[in-house]
Amino acid sequence: MKAPTDILLPMTGRFRLRPIRVAEFSFLIFLLVVMGLPLLFLLSGSFNLAAPGKPAVYGFGNWVRAFTDSGTLSALWMSFLLSVVRLIPAMILSVLFAWLIARTDMPGGKFIESICWVAYFVPDFPLVLAWILLLDPNFGFLNTIGKNLPFVDGALFNPYSFWGIVWVHTSTGGIWFKVMLLVPVFRRLGATLEEAARVAGANTTTMLWRITLPVLAPMILAVSVLSFIRGLQSFNTELLLGTPAGLYVYSTKIYDFLHREPRAYGEATALGSVFLFVLAILLFFYWKFLSGNKKFTVVTGQGYSTLRVKLGKWRYVAFASCLLYVIVMMLLPLAFLVLGSFMRRYGFFNIAAPFTVNHWYNMLTDPIFLVALKNSLIIASVTAVGGIMLYSGLAYLLVSRRTKFAPLLESLCWIPHVLPGILLSLSVLWLFLATPLRFFLYGTVWGIAFALILADSPVTTQAFKAGLLQLGGDLEESARVSGAGWLYTYRRILLPLLAPIAAAVGLMNFGSALTSISTPVLLYSHESRPLAILLLEYSFTGELERAAALGLLITLIIGTMMLIGRKFGLKLSGND
Amino acid sequence: MNRILVAVLVLVLGGYGAARAQTKASDKEWAAIVEAAKKEGKVVVAGSPDPVMRNDVIPKFTARFGIPIEFIAGRSSQIVSRVETERASGIFSIDLYLAGPDTSANELYNGKMIDPLRPLLVMPEVVDGSKWKSGKVWLADPQEQFVVRAFNSIASLLFVNTDHVKTDEMRHIKDLLNPKWRGKISAEDPTTTGAGANMAARLYSQIGEEFVKNLYIEQKVVPTRERRQMSDWLARGTQPICLNCREDDVRPLVKDGFKILEIFELNGIPGTINGSPWMLTLANKAPHPKAAQVFANWILSKEGLETYAKGYGSATLRADIDESYLNPGNLPKKGVKYFDDTDWKWIVGGRHENREKAWKVLKAK
Repeated sequence: MKAPTDILLPMTGRFRLRPIRVAEFSFLIFLLVVMGLPLLFLLSGSFNLAAPGKPAVYGFGNWVRAFTDSGTLSALWMSFLLSVVRLIPAMILSVLFAWLIARTDMPGGKFIESICWVAYFVPDFPLVLAWILLLDPNFGFLNTIGKNLPFVDGALFNPYSFWGIVWVHTSTGGIWFKVMLLVPVFRRLGATLEEAARVAGANTTTMLWRITLPVLAPMILAVSVLSFIRGLQSFNTELLLGTPAGLYVYSTKIYDFLHREPRAYGEATALGSVFLFVLAILLFFYWKFLSGNKKFTVVTGQGYSTLRVKLGKWRYVAFASCLLYVIVMMLLPLAFLVLGSFMRRYGFFNIAAPFTVNHWYNMLTDPIFLVALKNSLIIASVTAVGGIMLYSGLAYLLVSRRTKFAPLLESLCWIPHVLPGILLSLSVLWLFLATPLRFFLYGTVWGIAFALILADSPVTTQAFKAGLLQLGGDLEESARVSGAGWLYTYRRILLPLLAPIAAAVGLMNFGSALTSISTPVLLYSHESRPLAILLLEYSFTGELERAAALGLLITLIIGTMMLIGRKFGLKLSGND
Repeated sequence: MNRILVAVLVLVLGGYGAARAQTKASDKEWAAIVEAAKKEGKVVVAGSPDPVMRNDVIPKFTARFGIPIEFIAGRSSQIVSRVETERASGIFSIDLYLAGPDTSANELYNGKMIDPLRPLLVMPEVVDGSKWKSGKVWLADPQEQFVVRAFNSIASLLFVNTDHVKTDEMRHIKDLLNPKWRGKISAEDPTTTGAGANMAARLYSQIGEEFVKNLYIEQKVVPTRERRQMSDWLARGTQPICLNCREDDVRPLVKDGFKILEIFELNGIPGTINGSPWMLTLANKAPHPKAAQVFANWILSKEGLETYAKGYGSATLRADIDESYLNPGNLPKKGVKYFDDTDWKWIVGGRHENREKAWKVLKAK
């Protein structure tokens, strides 16, 4: 079989300017300018030893200081350990969830999927506090119940520990993000292969292990790489739960350098370079795995069946297990979070008149709120649509296997995933100010959207890439033979097949744009202030209850968009 | 006799010089400044995210002068990075900074990012020395031109929950080393820059290395980076002694009936004053110079400073503000010598040096 999308590209004459080369060079120049150049700027800055505002003096001082700072290596080890320990069970559970939702006849799959979507966008900071209310050894709700049991002596749970952090992470980040990305590709897996396996005598487990997982490997691997690096960068949960227990992670060290006075961005960049190194290793193995004669095509023109695996009586057990997981890991702390937004002081039930609607009222009547809401909706919409348009094209180019610079292009689009958010923001700021972009992007909602589109490049590109790898080349071949032009084929064949993935990443980017703080923090102006900056202000000043209310409102907006987007995506794909 | 005459002349001429430097504007001149400021359209102020600024100061200033404030809120390090990058491209977007003492001295002043503010102070009630406890506007930098200090409060030393810690159990700073309080004291993480590290530096400087070691390591002080966590622990009694809780976080708890006591002074350590929450500076090449002048004068006026101080709960340096809203413990007593945590030399040198020494002890554990 030909490489999946070889034939999706328009054929051109020998001496004519080939569109694929034009596209390739356009992407290459764009990515080099917007991602490569800022990275170079940061890396060169990390060798500048001069005090801020003074003429540059170059040397290795920042790097030496960063890596010889006490605790750096142990923090790196702790991050690695936490990331691995979290990743393995979370990936197993995510694949299982995605398979149950998309490939089996488990009832309530769409409901479980919707919960995963909402859960991903619940703000993690108040959610961690909700877990503290549940698990604190001294006053935690579950520990208080536990202490009344006859065979329990002392606290059952302790969130201020290694395993406490792992547990809370499973709730806040956990499987939600992975399920969101995996379900669309599982859903697109045609039943033909599974039916063939069943005819050959394979049972459900063998089929899952030998057929389903291997053909979905590109997405599973991409999600694993994304999650592993995200795990290494994880920060908020460790800050709240790790610091009291003396558990410091690598991101805490970077954070310290970023917020030190005077600033130590050179040291922070030096530490951040470890992520680049880890990414390079992971990408090497990822490419090695995808290269060769492996085929991941699941959608061809030769018949396509989406029949689901029948679980029999186990379908109810599967649903009950998923539901239990969702209730314990999300709905329980979420209930505390909702409650918290209506409490005078979050988690204090023993004060007089503990409940109030003031936080919601104050938030909704804050004159900044409506402006910020409008800005956020514009930014999020532009980010979602822009990301889909840009990265679907890039992914299309990457899977075509006809580009000379595929590894470079792919490496460039991974860069935002390994840069700490504030450094990405700083590099984009530099990009704006050093180029004519500043005249129409700096300080505007469009500039923030532009930066967020850059930040979304790894997830979006990988999702589209995995989706395109599933498409058989014969689809477009048939269309062309039938006389359809490239654009018509794209609209009538490719777009409907990619719609679920586009809807998924579009919504994910929409939600991330609403909640991202570190990317817009250096780029916003008074007129373009988004909701996330307001959230930052509330959290910074200890207005936790108002922050919880705003966080929930953002989740509500995302939930609504999700329902609309899913409907739209499924309608386009014909799966409604 | 001649010497006395010379001394009188010096005093008179000195006073005249000072008066010239901080010239009073007539009503007409002030009106012209305000008019010019209105034409500039806005004033851009950068500072920490701040509910008092957002909820009280901005509405009042805008109502008074009809000039909108664009408030760029963020961490000092982020704002300074942004401003530096802007300036490298020839963009000057900020008019004034309301930044903490560290940022004002070590970043803005040392980085030559600010212009003299003193010549801009012309509002009669601002330049009138009798309105200030210090006899004049306190300009903290060595040239007395750039950095205005508007606050002077006694800083909290610690907070205790008296349901768990009796007042007679906390009389001397070394009472903190009582084994009874092991694991019962919380503090902002002293191993990173911030209030926690500043306190460790101060304790190192005033009491010594051994005390820092005994307190933070032997007493197993529970560190956190989240200020809300500390005040919650204090109220619940989980850690009934809090070294770095903030008065504005604790105030609502006291209102709700929690028995929390703010301790300002203990035997064995001098009381401390500071200039928090901010110092006022003028950005160089301010894009709205007249609007900046109006805001700078207004925020230092009785109305401006009182609005801020009441919301935040700090003692100002103005002599004409009714301070009954304050905890009396916040007000420096006359004749008492305090350790000044916002002293210029301490900020630019001593604190940093002692913080590094304290970190060496704390990170070696």
